[in-house]
Amino acid sequence: MKGAVTVESKRVLMTGNEAAAEAAIRAGCQCYFGYPITPQNELIAYMAKHMPAHGRVFIQAESELAAISMVFGASLAGARAMTSSSSPGISLKQEGISYLAGCQLPAVIINVQRGGPGLGNIDPAQGDYFQATKGGGHGDYHIIVLAPASVQEMHDMTFQAFDLADQYRIPVMILADGRVGQMMEPIRLQEGPAPIPPAKPWALTGAKGRAPQCIRSLFLEEGALEKHNLALQECYRRIAAADTKLEETHTADCEWLIAAWGTCGRIGKGAVQKARAQGIKAGLIRPLTLWPFPYERLARLGAQVKALLVVEMNCGQMLEDVRLAVNGATPVHFSGYPGGRVPTVSDVFNALTALVRQ
Amino acid sequence: MKTTKSGYRRPASLTKAPMHYCAGCGHSTAHKLLAEVLDELEISERTIGVAPVGCAVLAYFYLKCDIAEAAHGRTPAVATGIKRALPDRIVFSYQGDGDLAAIGLAETIHAANRGEQITVVFINNTVYGMTGGQMAPTTLVGQVTATSPSGRESATMGGPLRMCELLNTLDQPYYIERVALDSHAGVLATKKALRTAFQAQVEGRGYSFVEILSACPTYFHRSPLESLKFVGGEMAKQFPVRIFRKEGVALHA
Amino acid sequence: MHERILIAGSGGQGIVSLGKLLAGLAAETIPHVTFFPAYGAEVRGGTSNCQVILSANEIAAPIAEIFDSILVMNQQSAERFLKALDQDGLAIINQSLCNVPAPERHLLIPATEIADRLGSIKAANLVMLGAWLAHKPLIAPTAVENAIASHFHGAAPALATINIKAFRAGLARGG
Repeated sequence: MKGAVTVESKRVLMTGNEAAAEAAIRAGCQCYFGYPITPQNELIAYMAKHMPAHGRVFIQAESELAAISMVFGASLAGARAMTSSSSPGISLKQEGISYLAGCQLPAVIINVQRGGPGLGNIDPAQGDYFQATKGGGHGDYHIIVLAPASVQEMHDMTFQAFDLADQYRIPVMILADGRVGQMMEPIRLQEGPAPIPPAKPWALTGAKGRAPQCIRSLFLEEGALEKHNLALQECYRRIAAADTKLEETHTADCEWLIAAWGTCGRIGKGAVQKARAQGIKAGLIRPLTLWPFPYERLARLGAQVKALLVVEMNCGQMLEDVRLAVNGATPVHFSGYPGGRVPTVSDVFNALTALVRQ
Repeated sequence: MKTTKSGYRRPASLTKAPMHYCAGCGHSTAHKLLAEVLDELEISERTIGVAPVGCAVLAYFYLKCDIAEAAHGRTPAVATGIKRALPDRIVFSYQGDGDLAAIGLAETIHAANRGEQITVVFINNTVYGMTGGQMAPTTLVGQVTATSPSGRESATMGGPLRMCELLNTLDQPYYIERVALDSHAGVLATKKALRTAFQAQVEGRGYSFVEILSACPTYFHRSPLESLKFVGGEMAKQFPVRIFRKEGVALHA
Repeated sequence: MHERILIAGSGGQGIVSLGKLLAGLAAETIPHVTFFPAYGAEVRGGTSNCQVILSANEIAAPIAEIFDSILVMNQQSAERFLKALDQDGLAIINQSLCNVPAPERHLLIPATEIADRLGSIKAANLVMLGAWLAHKPLIAPTAVENAIASHFHGAAPALATINIKAFRAGLARGG
């Protein structure tokens, strides 16, 4: 692997993009389809080099539309399949993601976010929260959204995403940013044999020994679509009950709560530590799953604290979910960085102390 | 399999569901020929088809093999994903002119250019049937449609795309043929072309493409019989019926 | 221990390679390490820079604004980045290609000239690393030399010798 330096105790220095790619290979990803875009190019290059070496499928597609459709094809044939891109490319993939959701097909999609709207810039950003968690494409659906804050999490979450996707027959998105993608950190790789995916009797593999099957998202028969959509909602309820994940820091006695995800969550933790050192009872909640969102836990913490501070590299997107969860019980403040600038620990600490002083 | 007094046999790979296609539409004939080829090559149990968005979106009701439904135009990309994941299966896409030559033109060209080991069945009837007879990329100059009410004017709407000719400029395709469902002979030629295309895939030869000129009496605004004459006449004049590529060699460059 | 390091220079001076080497070696003994290369538009126009943070504790902010150490290898980088040095920080300046007013505590070293005399100007980055390590002994010099030897192993053993000599020269000049 280019640029990787193996170190003792099995720690390997990798970029987040490479760590995600290597995780996919270790999770048994059989097919990868991608299209170049900054800042995720190391990922597609890693897959181009390593997938064929493992006897797996790599195609540089003609577009993001084609790449996600190839994922759709490989997935409906029963294979573990993945694509990756960055914000403008993910917009194009929304068509395919809606079809994957409608057809209940597993897939892993990595979004190494950059600035937007439009071409924006190539700096780290968190502007795709709404798109990722509220559907993104047309129709009434959700996908699982995981938010890594470090290279280790980029690796571990990508690995875990394949199992989640297969378990619930749902697309799973890793919502990273350019920072996490480009950064190198020493990580421990997922070891051991690749997980064995569950049986996929629904897959289209040819109708030998069984009746022909069809995978479709078109339901023209009377009442069929309603029934289908209600079944999807039932699946979403099961996921929310079993797989809502979050990280908490100093929340047991906190009076001031920072809520942040991904890179901002990591910086928020630094701000909490700085505040604690100065006697301010600060805490942090960092959702690891953005969908399903930890509404219940936030509601309870909201009732406990004096105020919340949401920090995001956007103009206030997770902010809306936090406000929904807290439901007016506590003031929810916001600190946003929408242009590609990454806040410093001091920025977040200063925003927090301004609240405390109020 | 039942044989009627007239000798008509329903292919095993065709379901008994009554087809929703209009009277005189070429899709039903094309489906039947496709089913016969799957039967004759004994591949229906290892075949996965990809249906388009368009009139043939419901092909899975009629063909007795595994079938997936793609987003509009992404059909060859979906077929690519399936074939790469399961290289020993037979994979085909079945597409109309809007799906294949308009919204899915990039997917069509790139799948052909990569030489994907799939079979593409292209039904060219020069109009969008499912949405109500709008102009297609293959609509003839002067042809009246819902979105070219005064006839297609090439200066502002472009001319009909000739897909076989276009794909024949690429290096990778193995087999490219255009046929016409305009007559008894045309039906037999279509069956032969489909059989050649699927046989090529069975033998792992490469990408195969069959364009079928087909009637849409409803949006030709003609009787079924007049529509067949239009297919064999004006359409075939614009879209010459011939083999373009055989065993990887261009016959008509 | 929490050391924020910035390395900057022009494309071709081995800025990113040096950062990766430092991060990789540090990861063997230091619990928390991040390496962040400037990417995209920032690296166009011939400049290159990267950051390495080494810490005993979890690194909250993987990009710093103020640095404990800054290694600059060309004029443009010196002008742009030296102002981000912590008031108690250490600057290592490639005197061969930088002409900046430097307070006494800054370390001026003709890295490119030293490397050139040793046989390859491309080894200037290791002169810089040596000088830095003389002041901040966070990595064992033998580990650096072993890494250089294994990096050039096979393909260019002569280059390994030049680079090790360059590293040692930096170490001597820095100390």
